[in-house]
Amino acid sequence: MIDTARTSAHRPLAAAPAAETLDVAARRRRRAGRRRTAVADLLGIVAWVSAAVAVLLWLVSPGSHTVVGIGGWLTDAGIVAGLVATDLVLVMLVLAARVPLIDRTFGQDNAIAVHRSLGKPVLYLLLAHGALLTLGYGASAGTGPIAETIALFSTPDMPLAYLGLGLFVAVVVTSLVAVRRRLPYEAWHVIHLLSYAAVLVALPHMLSVGSVLAEGTWQRVYWIALYVLALGLIALYRFALPLVVTFRHRIRVVGVETIAPGVVSIHLAGRDLDRLGTEGGQYGVWRFWTARTWWHAHPVSFSAVPGRDRARITVRDLGAGSARLGRITPGAFVSLEGPYGLFTSRARTAPFLALVASGIGITPVRSLLEDTDLRPGEATVLLRGTDADQQYLWHETAELAAATGSRLYAMVGHRAWSRESWMTEEDVRRDVTLQSVFPNLLQSDLYVCGPRAWSDLVVREARLAGVPEHQIHQERFES
Amino acid sequence: MRARIVAGGVLSSIAVLVIGWQLGGQPAVTAPTQQSTTSGSGTTGTGSTSDGTSSGTTGTTGGTTGTGTTGGSSVSGTFAGDTTETRYGPVQVQITVANGKITDVTALQLTNSDGRSVQISQQAAPILRQEALQAQSAQIQSVSGATFTSEGYTTSLQSAIDKAGL
Repeated sequence: MIDTARTSAHRPLAAAPAAETLDVAARRRRRAGRRRTAVADLLGIVAWVSAAVAVLLWLVSPGSHTVVGIGGWLTDAGIVAGLVATDLVLVMLVLAARVPLIDRTFGQDNAIAVHRSLGKPVLYLLLAHGALLTLGYGASAGTGPIAETIALFSTPDMPLAYLGLGLFVAVVVTSLVAVRRRLPYEAWHVIHLLSYAAVLVALPHMLSVGSVLAEGTWQRVYWIALYVLALGLIALYRFALPLVVTFRHRIRVVGVETIAPGVVSIHLAGRDLDRLGTEGGQYGVWRFWTARTWWHAHPVSFSAVPGRDRARITVRDLGAGSARLGRITPGAFVSLEGPYGLFTSRARTAPFLALVASGIGITPVRSLLEDTDLRPGEATVLLRGTDADQQYLWHETAELAAATGSRLYAMVGHRAWSRESWMTEEDVRRDVTLQSVFPNLLQSDLYVCGPRAWSDLVVREARLAGVPEHQIHQERFES
Repeated sequence: MRARIVAGGVLSSIAVLVIGWQLGGQPAVTAPTQQSTTSGSGTTGTGSTSDGTSSGTTGTTGGTTGTGTTGGSSVSGTFAGDTTETRYGPVQVQITVANGKITDVTALQLTNSDGRSVQISQQAAPILRQEALQAQSAQIQSVSGATFTSEGYTTSLQSAIDKAGL
């Protein structure tokens, strides 16, 4: 395997020894880790409390303590379900807004994982909201659910609310794993954008039909403020900031280089790219403005830390969209959202560093190694590939390892067949373990990047070996 | 990290809910008991609701003038509108007319299916009354947050106006 990707993007290798000793650095990282954990706890608790405040709005509303009859109970359960569901939808919007504080604290991939886990519960709450209120009103008025639904449809703002519910159902159903796999990314994405519309059309009926958010109450002000906050964060960080970044740095494609079958490095030029603030191990969401590719944004890792006017990303053709990236012509205009990600040395908490990469997972690992101040012997790198075709960027990584005094191992071959393992059959038989590769494993930050199923196996072994959870860093590649 | 978030989240949520329960407990209890506690001598009664739910002072003054209609264009007296059923209970209003002019609107019944509706009625009734006195008709804007009360109010008001022959 020949690595031709020697770009001017590389910063001069940081050969200068780190100023602090291992212990001092470890203490500093532990402090930073504690701070990050504290912020993470705080943000998580704020999300919980926001849901509780949604219930509180109902508790302080008139009538909550004098619920009468089965109709009253159904109605009030429906109101609470609607309030909590809306609050969680706004939490989901904030999680997807790529807020820098959330990215630096949890990592955007973890934020999206939480966002996903909320999807189904929110849908159930919304459906319960509609059903309970219809039954509750019906029971109070002595009408059936169908007559009640017709009556509700003729209530001001209610048709919009039903539209919002329908949109939410569409958004969640198309995001179910089984459905999403069969949908083209673009179809899913367009439907997902409808959630903004769903959130907005659902608002009027809360303010006019609902009695909890009556006019002239602080509850109404609070609720509208939540909306402004969530949608404001989306507008700022998903739309305004990427526009500013894109026009400030004016990134263009200067070359596309196939470095292995199906793997291309895209060389980029732009202004002040070092001021993007990219840390090694981060990724961007890229859009290439050519006739065939403009409608698809790709999350791709930086495979080198950007220099002043050069950057490089490396991508494997994982889907139909990224296969087209190999045919991008130089000169194409590029827009960038990012950089994002917590697969960086910022997340470290331990004195030693253990890096494990497989396949395209080499890209963040390589730039992470490039961007970390390392003492000789601090870092150990394990590169994993099936065959010679998967050894792209290995040469560069080996050079970086040599320059920083890091050990580097390579493990080449198909996955073991005698038992489930992330290693090759040969290494399984030789009784290789994570701890034999990384002697300081328990005092190391373990960074794992590669195919999901494979990296899960690595992480499982690390947990069994007793590596604390906060020392395990896994980059999830599907966004 | 996750366990701490869940534990902290559950604890602080419970705290928030307890606070909400305490905050919500006080005003809502007084709403339905107003009918039974007569004039507001104690702590529970509030004077501001006299023109709202109970047909108090304005109702009695209407009674003294009598419900007779004097002929010609200038009508005087009190006229009760039809009772209108809404989702949250019946609504009925009574108008006081002096020389063909609506001088007062009294709510005889307002949405009262639960404490929430009572509260909404009490908020909406003064606004609707003011609107009706200004418009001198049932062509008035409904109060946001009290859609059903407003609808019932205007319907009953219209029938009262019809009865008065205004």
